[in-house]
Amino acid sequence: MPLFSLLQDSRVKAWLLLSPTILYLTVFIAYPIVDSFRIAFVKNGSLSFDAVDFLLYSPLSEFWSALKYTFLLAILVIPTETLLALTAVILLFKRFRGRDAVIYVLVMPLALSDLAAGLIWYSMLTGKGFLNKLLLNLGLISEPIIFFGYENRWLTFLAVYLAEVWRSTAIVFVILFAGAQLINREVFEAAEVFGASFYVKLRHILIPMIKPSLQAALLIRTLFAFQVFAVVWILAGRDIPVLAGEAYYSIVELHKYDVAALYAIVIALLSASIGLIYIRVFRETLLR
Amino acid sequence: MSSRRSFRRGEATSRYLLVGAAIVVVIILLALGYYFYSQGGAETTTSPEATGEAGTATETTSPAATETTTEKVTLIWASTQLVPPTEQQFVKEELLPPFTQETGIDVEFIGMSYGDLNVRLQSEIESGKVTISLIADLHGGLDLYASKGWLEDLSKFGSLEGREFPQVLEDYSRLYGIKAYVPWLTATYVFVVNKEAFKYLPPGLTEEDVMTGSEKWTYDALLEWAKNIEAATGQKPLGFPAGPKGLFHRFLHGYLYPSFTGAQVKNFDSPEAVQMWNYLKELWNYVHPQSTVYEAMAAPLLNGEVLIAWDHTARIKDAIVQKPDQFVVVPAPAGPKGRGYILVIVGLAIPKNAPHQEAAWKLIEYLTRPDVQRLILEKVGFFPAVSGVAEKLPEGPLKILAQGVGNQLNTPDSLVALIPSLGEKGGDFSNTYREAFKAIVLEGKDPQQVLPELKQYLLSLFQQAGASLPPPDE
Repeated sequence: MPLFSLLQDSRVKAWLLLSPTILYLTVFIAYPIVDSFRIAFVKNGSLSFDAVDFLLYSPLSEFWSALKYTFLLAILVIPTETLLALTAVILLFKRFRGRDAVIYVLVMPLALSDLAAGLIWYSMLTGKGFLNKLLLNLGLISEPIIFFGYENRWLTFLAVYLAEVWRSTAIVFVILFAGAQLINREVFEAAEVFGASFYVKLRHILIPMIKPSLQAALLIRTLFAFQVFAVVWILAGRDIPVLAGEAYYSIVELHKYDVAALYAIVIALLSASIGLIYIRVFRETLLR
Repeated sequence: MSSRRSFRRGEATSRYLLVGAAIVVVIILLALGYYFYSQGGAETTTSPEATGEAGTATETTSPAATETTTEKVTLIWASTQLVPPTEQQFVKEELLPPFTQETGIDVEFIGMSYGDLNVRLQSEIESGKVTISLIADLHGGLDLYASKGWLEDLSKFGSLEGREFPQVLEDYSRLYGIKAYVPWLTATYVFVVNKEAFKYLPPGLTEEDVMTGSEKWTYDALLEWAKNIEAATGQKPLGFPAGPKGLFHRFLHGYLYPSFTGAQVKNFDSPEAVQMWNYLKELWNYVHPQSTVYEAMAAPLLNGEVLIAWDHTARIKDAIVQKPDQFVVVPAPAGPKGRGYILVIVGLAIPKNAPHQEAAWKLIEYLTRPDVQRLILEKVGFFPAVSGVAEKLPEGPLKILAQGVGNQLNTPDSLVALIPSLGEKGGDFSNTYREAFKAIVLEGKDPQQVLPELKQYLLSLFQQAGASLPPPDE
């Protein structure tokens, strides 16, 4: 049977086994990417750089500040979340009563949409919100702290930072915690027998052994950081422009599909290159 | 494959896997093939409800032919207005059932954002499968659709008996050579004052002046008033919806600009405009800093964050309904050139080649009846587009709104501004004013440096859209 022997050829077999994945990638990944290039750069059937011109030179474009704030948020949020998640993993490494409850509480923000998270923080921090009322009643402040508004951009930024950290530390924690669960406890027992200090255990056992999880967590978190949208939109509007927010604004308010597509491409390219860097860096440190 | 003996478990599994993969591939290919076949084929093979409609569309008989049959008709009505949940509930539970009872036509109301409606309409028109039978949108949106040739000419349905539309609405609903829409609702933007604020009126300004919009109720008076309140309470009393989805740009181009320069666009960088921006800079010292995040002013008014706010009537209605004793609606202040304000028009239109057009026209007839318009005013706070409705109003929050709006319309120095029809450039238009505001007021730049460049941009928008400058610019 020629068909049968063809199927037995290992190269054909490999392609055949890969084909569902390839089809999936074509339909759901490659086609949208190609199409977003088309939307961004093709106008009336010919090449057009209108979107680029708008993005870079229009007085109405907020591209550079969007880029700045997106990076700033990522740079501040990701290390904080990683540290917090790592701390939580260390604290929860030992079994104790109520440990499961603590884990549930920590993971709770995962169940919320980021829009809801934004709204919660907004209503908490607004001039007549919970926090201000609490502080006023405690006599700690005499006038409400206004977190939001253009003049208070840095306070708004702080609010966004807090909300982002609150919302997505959980995802980093879950991944790191799962990784930590896989470590053989005997290793730690051995370390204890030899009288290793907390720092030594951390530096030479825990961190090296959860490195793969760390890589996954950081990668996911960084990719999400470049798509940050709802929390910023609710808390800051366009006072703090971010890339995804500007893409949304371009479509909904300006009806500029090409500009929005260009923003999408910028976000995709940033995510891809950051992903690549992570994988490179981690592979090298892992092989060492 | 070299010897039969090697048929072990592993190889058998891999063969199953192989067969499985092959089946998956075949299924996906078949599905794709079917998809493209049905795309290229005809409009006749889609969902069951679409087939019913495709019959009338492809046979090109009069759409009315099917309406007379006993077949149950379901209209799809897409609207960018009445979208908030409570308003949708009103539409579905109170507005539409009497119509269905009367005509036997079911209506599916779909609330959408401007962007979504635009995308959906475009894809439906381009694919030739129109499902939306009726659109309710603002004048600006309908103008955009008419400019692209996406709307039916409604003059083919004849006129609507027994109701009268104000001339200005009649004029505006004719776009690009067709009767593009039937005016349905109107609205405007007003100031709402927490009565608390009247305690701090500056000398020479009375409550009466503010309520009726006398010549003493000016922007300078507003500034004095705000100063007084801040001095007395330490609170910044004014509020504007200057968040990204707020309507603050309307205040800039439809209220401040006409009031100070007599026009929305043509005097954009005039000395009067510079004076106006300097005024706004000063006023902004008394505006609640959270304003750049506010999207609608009802909540900040209700929770007492601001005492005097400006917004769309529909977006402040909640405050008046919940605390009718607390708030009053007042006309906008006047500037040196008059009392500029915007009149908003919501229209009903039928997309090109829409199914069930006769039924849609029946719905338009129903929605523009004076009684129905009054019901909408009572429940949602949109003002009628037909004459003679506002007179018969019951007491209550609505009266407060209607009085304020009426007072604004009846001020002798009234200067009506219409939102320009710029098609897809409408967003850029709004954004230019916002940008000027951001640069001059928030970032403190010199208006004389900011305005000329932006004016060129603004004028180029009108040029590209081939549109004339909006009233009162002529």
